[in-house]
Amino acid sequence: MKRIIFILIMVATWSGCTDLEEEPIGILAPETFFTTTDNLQAAVDGAYGHIASEEFWGRKFTLSLLLRGDMVTIGDPTTSSRRIEVDEFRMNGDNGMVTSFWPRSYAIIGSTNYAIEGAASVEGTEEEVNAIVAQARFVRAFTYYHLVRIFGEVPYIDFAVREAEALSSIEKTSVEEIYEGIIEDLEFAKTWLPDQQPFRSMPSKGTAASYLASVYLTIGNWQGAYDEATFVINNSGRFGYALEADFQDLFDATKADGLVEHIFSIDFKGLDVISGAPGIDFLPPVTGMRGPDIEGWSVAVPTVAVFNSFDDNDYRKAVSFDTEAVFDGVTVPWQDFGMANRGVSRPHIAKYYRFPGTAGNNNRDSDHNYGAMRYAEVLLIAAEASNELSGPTGEAVDYINQIRARARNAAGTMNTFPEDLTSGLSKDQLRDAILEERRIELAFEFKRWYDIKRLNLGMEVFGPTSMEPQTNFDSTRDYLFPLPDDELGRNPNLLPQNPGY
Amino acid sequence: MNAKQTYLKILKKSIPIFILMFGTGLFAQIEITGTVTSDDGVPIPGVNISVQNEAIGTTTDFDGLYKIEVPDESSVLLFSYVGYTDQKITVGSQRKIDVTLSASVESLDQIVVVGYGSRRKKDLTGSVVSVEAEDITAYPSATAQQTLQGRAAGVSVQSANGGEPGADIRIRVRGATSINASSDAIFVVDGFVGAALPAPEDIASIQVLKDASATAIYGSRGANGVVIVTTKKGKKGRMRIDFNTSYSTQTVTNTLDLLNAEQFGDYIQEINPGYVRGSADTDWQDVIFKTGQIANHQIALSGGAENVDYYLSGTFFDQNGAVLGSGLERFSFTNNININFSDRLKVGMNALGRRSTREGARTQESTGGTGSAGAISAAFRFSPDQGIRDANGDFTLPSVGDDIDNPFATTTQIFNESVNDLFQTNVYADLKLFEGLSFKSTLGYNVRNNREGTFFPTTTVRGAGVGGEGSIQTIKQTNILSENYFTYKNDLSFAKFSATVGYSYQKERSERVTTSGAGFLDDGFSFWNLDGAANLLFIESRLLESELASYYGRINFDILDKYLITFNARQDGSSTFSANNKWGFFPSGAIAWNMGDESFLQNSNLISQWKWRVSYGLTGNRAIQPFGTLATYEDIISIQGGELVNAVALQRLANDNLKWETTKQFNVGVNIGLFNNRISLTADYYDMITEDLLLDRPLPETSGLSNPVQLQNVGSLENKGFEIELSTRNLVGAFTWNTNINFSRNRNKVLELPDGEDIRDIGNSSPGHLLLPDVPILREGQPVGVYFGYVYDGVYQNGDTFLPGAIFEQQAGGERYRDLNGDGELNSDDQTIIGNPHPDFTFGINNTFAYKGFDLNVFFQGAVGGDMFNFTLLELNTLTGSSNATTEALNRWSLTNPNTNVPSAAQRTRIISSRWVYDGSYARLKNITLGYTFNERLLEKLKMTKLRVYVSGQNLVTFTDYPGLDPEVLYRSDSNSRSNINLGLDYGSYPNVRSYTLGLNVSF
Repeated sequence: MKRIIFILIMVATWSGCTDLEEEPIGILAPETFFTTTDNLQAAVDGAYGHIASEEFWGRKFTLSLLLRGDMVTIGDPTTSSRRIEVDEFRMNGDNGMVTSFWPRSYAIIGSTNYAIEGAASVEGTEEEVNAIVAQARFVRAFTYYHLVRIFGEVPYIDFAVREAEALSSIEKTSVEEIYEGIIEDLEFAKTWLPDQQPFRSMPSKGTAASYLASVYLTIGNWQGAYDEATFVINNSGRFGYALEADFQDLFDATKADGLVEHIFSIDFKGLDVISGAPGIDFLPPVTGMRGPDIEGWSVAVPTVAVFNSFDDNDYRKAVSFDTEAVFDGVTVPWQDFGMANRGVSRPHIAKYYRFPGTAGNNNRDSDHNYGAMRYAEVLLIAAEASNELSGPTGEAVDYINQIRARARNAAGTMNTFPEDLTSGLSKDQLRDAILEERRIELAFEFKRWYDIKRLNLGMEVFGPTSMEPQTNFDSTRDYLFPLPDDELGRNPNLLPQNPGY
Repeated sequence: MNAKQTYLKILKKSIPIFILMFGTGLFAQIEITGTVTSDDGVPIPGVNISVQNEAIGTTTDFDGLYKIEVPDESSVLLFSYVGYTDQKITVGSQRKIDVTLSASVESLDQIVVVGYGSRRKKDLTGSVVSVEAEDITAYPSATAQQTLQGRAAGVSVQSANGGEPGADIRIRVRGATSINASSDAIFVVDGFVGAALPAPEDIASIQVLKDASATAIYGSRGANGVVIVTTKKGKKGRMRIDFNTSYSTQTVTNTLDLLNAEQFGDYIQEINPGYVRGSADTDWQDVIFKTGQIANHQIALSGGAENVDYYLSGTFFDQNGAVLGSGLERFSFTNNININFSDRLKVGMNALGRRSTREGARTQESTGGTGSAGAISAAFRFSPDQGIRDANGDFTLPSVGDDIDNPFATTTQIFNESVNDLFQTNVYADLKLFEGLSFKSTLGYNVRNNREGTFFPTTTVRGAGVGGEGSIQTIKQTNILSENYFTYKNDLSFAKFSATVGYSYQKERSERVTTSGAGFLDDGFSFWNLDGAANLLFIESRLLESELASYYGRINFDILDKYLITFNARQDGSSTFSANNKWGFFPSGAIAWNMGDESFLQNSNLISQWKWRVSYGLTGNRAIQPFGTLATYEDIISIQGGELVNAVALQRLANDNLKWETTKQFNVGVNIGLFNNRISLTADYYDMITEDLLLDRPLPETSGLSNPVQLQNVGSLENKGFEIELSTRNLVGAFTWNTNINFSRNRNKVLELPDGEDIRDIGNSSPGHLLLPDVPILREGQPVGVYFGYVYDGVYQNGDTFLPGAIFEQQAGGERYRDLNGDGELNSDDQTIIGNPHPDFTFGINNTFAYKGFDLNVFFQGAVGGDMFNFTLLELNTLTGSSNATTEALNRWSLTNPNTNVPSAAQRTRIISSRWVYDGSYARLKNITLGYTFNERLLEKLKMTKLRVYVSGQNLVTFTDYPGLDPEVLYRSDSNSRSNINLGLDYGSYPNVRSYTLGLNVSF
């Protein structure tokens, strides 16, 4: 019996020894993560992953930019209200687009801040480490550059947030200071990034310079814009930049990885990964047409006036618009797209839906690389800055004509349209021509809203005789998006809301 | 010591054993006969008669007669029968012993199992309700949980998915005490906390512990009530064989009235005049609803000898669902063995092995977009003018809306199977150290293996474009529990004292592997050749581990059997909290007064029992997943150069300050017995406040987290209410009639939320493809999960002022919503609370009648006053031309039919509004059973001790105004937080079923 009691007590006390400490397996902690340059790169790759998410480049952010401008409006009127509100200038601070891409923007920034601080404990030479830190600083600048244009004043956070308490003291930063931070990051990136990277989805020295040019153009620093753009153009061989021969190739996902025109691209892969994971692209279906056996969603569709504003002889019109579709084996012109349930009888954007590469249902999860910055835009920036600085010189006209020459190559057939710009334009005329060239060349590439805002064109382009009349447009309110209301609730330091909301 | 001495010693020791073994043969036997009757003089057949401490037993015959042989005059006879008070009689010089058993509707001496021990019912200070075996097996059911429905006041039981075979069952004791953590009651099976329940047929009784006095001994797992399950054990005496079998047929209780092909064509052509009508006229509900069947069998062997008792049982349950492609097959084996090693040491073992195989038709889908619709919602949505197959022999697709599989293809082509294996053992040793003090140690081990596989062949929309898609997931969960406790009892002259102290350690571990792929050479691979996929879509593996260490104790002090005092306390330490807050302390105290035993009531003819009870105490809830306090990077996929690369993203900030959720509960109750307990009433009032709720506090999104929230102890909520149980023996004698009524009312209210802000978009409550925000909202001062949306004001007429707003119609025949803030336009500021899913009260009414061999049971159950939100009707009857609609569409607005609340057929945005909120009140005839027990004379010929046949019906009648299929559904309740927040939502749910059962109980 004694033995049995002993065994019982042994069994009972066997279990007594626990300190209740957790020993996680398969879990990463940021405190101990930053040891090697590979891990540092993985932290920066996290930022790229966030950019390629549905909430950012995969739909919510880019779709907002499309709808906000005057080139694209709502097709299917039964689509969700958050989209209609962006398009019709009826947004509130609870708009579902803003409340999605705001947090994702800061997730991108948070990833870069952790990487930038984490670099201190990484083993490697200054060059090795800084080349990766420079990627992080470029991505941070890229993100703030979007935020400051969308919202105006936002909190400029350049440190890793490690405790929830640290968040209560966060305040808005002035637009000037945000631009100072952006320029500082881009200068650092320009210093430490290599001339070329293995992929265009990683920034190189030329990427940083191109974005500096764009930033300077936005803030009206023509000299800065000119210097940086011409730095890129004059070193295009060193950086590996050129215009693609065929405009269509820029929007063919199967050719995306070899494009020399891309200066910075957002890389998607035709994956059917679980919804919500990074790397999900919904732009093809939201811009594609609905049909009985094709499943675009006809959400973001240009007006017929926009379609008509392109010259029929411009090859770029054929690349940019889908004017017919095959419904149950029958070719249907755009005028009949409405035959389909919730279909919309207008030409649809073709840049994304036509050649999505390996993709899932409804061309979801495309294989596109989106050219967030391409060489043609650098030429346009150089032309615009040159015109502002020196008037209508031959240099400015030449930059435009490089783009026009490429546009004449219709898949190997040399068109006569668009003809070269002739010299002899006035400075104002050339400014208008450059702006129009941007509208046509960069159509549906998420640039137009920024041009409208930058050049204060709202009253004109949303006026009653415009291509997309919007009676709600209010120039005192609508050049900025509303800050997310729930964020204002969580951090009242960010009050007041942007004017008019 | 030489060999001879040793031999003698062994021989000496063996003598008593020989005497025991041959005693019955060696000594003279005394034959005892007699009759057992009830207190109204009616003979009781089937009474168990055993001789104390002997392996001798018999039962009475149909006339209540018995005959038994006992060893000597000191033998003690024990008479027992379910529903009657046991009696012990010492034989002495008597040779004929007639016994009168008194019925125990409310037997005060009945022993009730409570946490770490048992108490006389009379001595209980806490709120405890019992459910007996005959109620648990009143009708066939896949799980024991669902048999509790309507049986006990304060215990709400609901199927999450109507009549689906193997549907999850939600059990709430006095409402939900948490938002993020589980609010499910914890199950304790024969002392094993967190064990799986055996088949209903193997359960002897269930006790539900409700107030803190009863549950605080379970500390951090007691907040939601404790369900204590006692399994059947063998009784001393000869082996008994029980065989129970039943066969049921099932049909759906309800269908929706949908448009036929012609009406559908008219409707669609109003939106799209060019619509080409299909030539078929298919009733899709008819295609997938069929007559289901259940076969349920159990065989049990039980008995006992001098020092051992045993119970062995096997069950088999086979259900073919009432929806094509759904079914459940379950078999289980249980055994229970107890051995008296010596008069000081008792050991025993309880084992359960079970396999359940479930084939699921896709229902309650989280999104029903392209290729994703479930069978039920597809049967409503799908164009009725299409046949099952087109001219090419392919499955048809809908002529409007997203491409979804037709219901026949959904139920016959998509293959979903889950196989769940359970193995559970619990061993114990109970050691009497000296008089009054004993020590018990138990070791429980539970392992569950679940494998779920899904395959979409190329004949389905989802599988077609990608060459078939398959996925497989395996989850292995282990739970090991060691309990060790001392119990001390001392009966003083004026008082009884007992105390329990103990220590327990529990470790849980969960391993999960998930893989999916697409692009197979052959549909025949199903999900068994995922490595043959052209595209591996998803691979994941996860490990979670947690430990719980606890010290607990209880003191009972009963003065003069009238004044009862109980103190409980438990200290729980969990690995999931950070170092500062690993331990939580959960004390409770209670007093009770048996006023009925006071001299002024003792001799009352009216009052046979009157007990007051008051308790107050704290219980807890862990509410946090393992590793939840640590700062973590999650690994995400990034893409470089068209290839996937591993990347990290910030998932969570560290939080060292998290602690347990704590529920403070006050309870006052009374037990009253009248007219010799022919009427007994139990009533309780309670008020529970849960504090330190672990909620995801939204952080400023500038934190940079992928999901910018942090779990913090912020918020509180309250559940208060009252419960009444009334049992009456209306008729006694040859014809008996007993009634049990229970009534519960719970009021739930959110008291405090982070920063006082409403919380929205936490339940993922809306079907994804409808592109709607969440319906439930958390708001201070309101119950959890009230509905939030616009107020529907009918239809605009010509000449009305149309309110502007981004998604709102501005035309005659369009939907009209109320401009609540009066600013002349419609936007998100015009939303308000439009419904409350919590019922005002729930009830159960159980009537049992018996006459001669016949027994009749009639059981009603219901819930009154809760709202429901019906996404199905929202999808169909917004009349936007992307699906079929119900016949409500025939009353749609037109120039010739302007006086209606139903809008015109037009493309419009779907909107969450009061139009889709319905009263979900219902009362249903849950069960009616008529049985007949054959008489003794026949049984003797058949060599049986019992033979009963019965017919029963379940859900034969339901009284409700709810326009959906059935009010008893819970859409999107598939996680802890969702099950607390998403209440009364209905989308694409499996319909409830009406069953007819024919059954047989045989004992040998």
